[in-house]
Amino acid sequence: MSGRAQSWVAHLRQGGTTPWLAWRGDPSSDRAGDGVLPGAQQLELLRRINLARESGAQPRARHDREGTRLADRVLAAPAAGRGKADLPLVGVETPAFGPQPVDPATVGAHELLRVASVLLADDLVALGPDPVRTAWARPWRLRFRLVGDPVLVAGWREDLASRGRPEGGPRPFVVAVGRPLDELLAHTWTQRCFETGSTPWVEWLRFWRERDQLPARADLPASVRRWHARRPLVRIVTDLDRLPRQLGVRRLPAVRVPGADQAELARRIAAVVGIRVPAEERPALMRTLQRRIPDTGTDPVVVPAREREWVAASAARTTREVRRAGYAVVGDLAGLAPRTETPAATGAGAADQQVLDLAIRMVVDPGWRTVGHPRAGAERSVEQ
Amino acid sequence: MSRRVLLHVGCPKTGTSYLQDVLFRNKAVLQEHDILYPADRFDAHFLAALDLMTLPWGGLETEAVGAWDRLAEQVREWHGTAIISHEIFARATPTQVERAMASLGDAEVHLVLSVRDLVRQIPAEWQENVKHRSNITYARFLETIRDPARDSRIGSWFWAVQELPDILARWAGSLPPERVHLVTVPPSGADRGELWRRFSRTFGLDDLDLDLTAERENPSLGVPETSLLRTINQRVTSIISPPDYRPLVRELLAHQTLSRGVASARLRLPPEDHAWAQDLSRSWVGAIADRGYDVAGSLDDLVGPEPGTFVDPDTVTPDLLLPSALDAISALLVESARLRAVEERLHEEVREAHAERDRARATPTYRLRRKVVRTLEDSPAGRGTLDAYRRVRGRARR
Repeated sequence: MSGRAQSWVAHLRQGGTTPWLAWRGDPSSDRAGDGVLPGAQQLELLRRINLARESGAQPRARHDREGTRLADRVLAAPAAGRGKADLPLVGVETPAFGPQPVDPATVGAHELLRVASVLLADDLVALGPDPVRTAWARPWRLRFRLVGDPVLVAGWREDLASRGRPEGGPRPFVVAVGRPLDELLAHTWTQRCFETGSTPWVEWLRFWRERDQLPARADLPASVRRWHARRPLVRIVTDLDRLPRQLGVRRLPAVRVPGADQAELARRIAAVVGIRVPAEERPALMRTLQRRIPDTGTDPVVVPAREREWVAASAARTTREVRRAGYAVVGDLAGLAPRTETPAATGAGAADQQVLDLAIRMVVDPGWRTVGHPRAGAERSVEQ
Repeated sequence: MSRRVLLHVGCPKTGTSYLQDVLFRNKAVLQEHDILYPADRFDAHFLAALDLMTLPWGGLETEAVGAWDRLAEQVREWHGTAIISHEIFARATPTQVERAMASLGDAEVHLVLSVRDLVRQIPAEWQENVKHRSNITYARFLETIRDPARDSRIGSWFWAVQELPDILARWAGSLPPERVHLVTVPPSGADRGELWRRFSRTFGLDDLDLDLTAERENPSLGVPETSLLRTINQRVTSIISPPDYRPLVRELLAHQTLSRGVASARLRLPPEDHAWAQDLSRSWVGAIADRGYDVAGSLDDLVGPEPGTFVDPDTVTPDLLLPSALDAISALLVESARLRAVEERLHEEVREAHAERDRARATPTYRLRRKVVRTLEDSPAGRGTLDAYRRVRGRARR
């Protein structure tokens, strides 16, 4: 490693924020070394992390201890997935072969995210899963099986179990939580990001549109049929105010719906967690992330305009199927139709920069790891 | 502690599948001669590579958790020679190489790199991309890999696993040259056993009685077959997920069906790209010729053959695609019929299980108990009574 590069690495390890091209070297440490020079992705991410730490007004002493440890983790972290190789720095003597040297400041957010997602996945694995709150099952509880909107159902299922009302039991009512199909699809993808990961939102949606099928959890009639429920024991609920009664409770808590940036970051983290822990441990870790991921105020993903026609046709088909099956509907089946208003967003999901900002915030501020797990947030939620 | 580790890190499309299959099938024989090939499944080292490089791979990575550390531990504990082999190790970054080397302990590490001329590698890599769901045209692929910026996923991957001097810089930088072994793939038309003889000499397997039957190879496709596969990808990649694509398209269509078209035109480089590839290969040979590496074969093999007749896979006419397309339809129909038979057998098993259950329930006492339970389940008090009864019976959680 060249002396100038070595001194820049040392500068970054000490919390420095000078960009590579502005770095003039440090005469006291400008000696060539033998170590491996990390890639431009790792170095630039560390510089951005230092910038974020600086603006976060962390006490200097804290930086010395934790900052150096964090810096070493960043520099050693691989970039996950099949992206670019570790990129050499422009201006450093490199062999004639290998990837072209770059100015680290020009490395895209997508590349930096490949490194950041590894750091966050490792943090999550080190944190371990939050304990699942359960309570003694109330013998008189109504027996039910919740299907439908995966984000809402996952939140309520957990709450109900903690109140002694777990799903299942003999002859349960199958309660399907119906939502406008565009929202249901968005929630299905979002929840998937917080479970096993997924393909990107637009790609995932195209997959289903080209198959002209709905994903299992967004297909209400199929979700109901899966439990072999007899017709009198099925409730399709589109009026969420009346849902608690169907489950034998007075109220249900607000469920936080992750924003597009949170879901996208979770998607990337899930891929790395999948290679860090056995498959059966990933869901609990990802649930922990879902509870703890900081709010940003970003809206959830929305269905892009080009898919709306298919979504509308699929919603109409779902409505016909529910009607033909003769299931009891709590609310109005019109509630399954996609929302007519057109959101301003293009539907392409969160921008890489937004996701990177969130990732850096989570790397810099360990609050999401150190504080006991938060209850549902208030920013954007669906409440009963 | 292994005395010696032979670490074979690449490159793809150099006969590695065959080598790994032979090593895996002859594990016991090798072990009798103090050679360890630590693999409990044929793709064990592929999983170790995914783990080492934090490389998600269409869901397969979930089977790779901790695979590198387990492999390294087995190698460290072995008293003789150990062999590690997978071609995607070639892509490891310097940091990952450092970790890999450190985890092998104090063993004498020998790096093995099997290499083939770019003139054949480039078409082979395009074909490999097509077999991995890509629908990129050949022209676009060539343009992509010739882009010096290597900004695309395809370009960065291609050079990471094919650029010989760069791979050597990453993997062999800390090793003395006598511990770096290059195995060159013989020119087209050479004796089929020659590549194995080169591997065998490098890995020290010459005197062993090994079963060399080719059970698992990564066969290449002709021009119309690859073109057809790319066309199929255009239709199905977005609607067939990787776990379905692997058995149905890559294995069934590409490997088991379309690769049989041995009479088809072979894929080559267009004349201009051919000259560029040969020049580049010569520069690589120039860069490494004096390093003193052990070479099985000849570095001249890396320059590649002279240009042959180029058949453009992007402009194959429908009549040339038709025979392959019909073969593909036949293969898929046969596979569908097989799967239908499997499905029917499973339905039959379920029917038998249901019938058995119904026979067990056909007693009057069962029907009476069932009626009582259903009546109780219809009221909160009844459900409470039932739960209490089940707890007393110790069956609450059943």
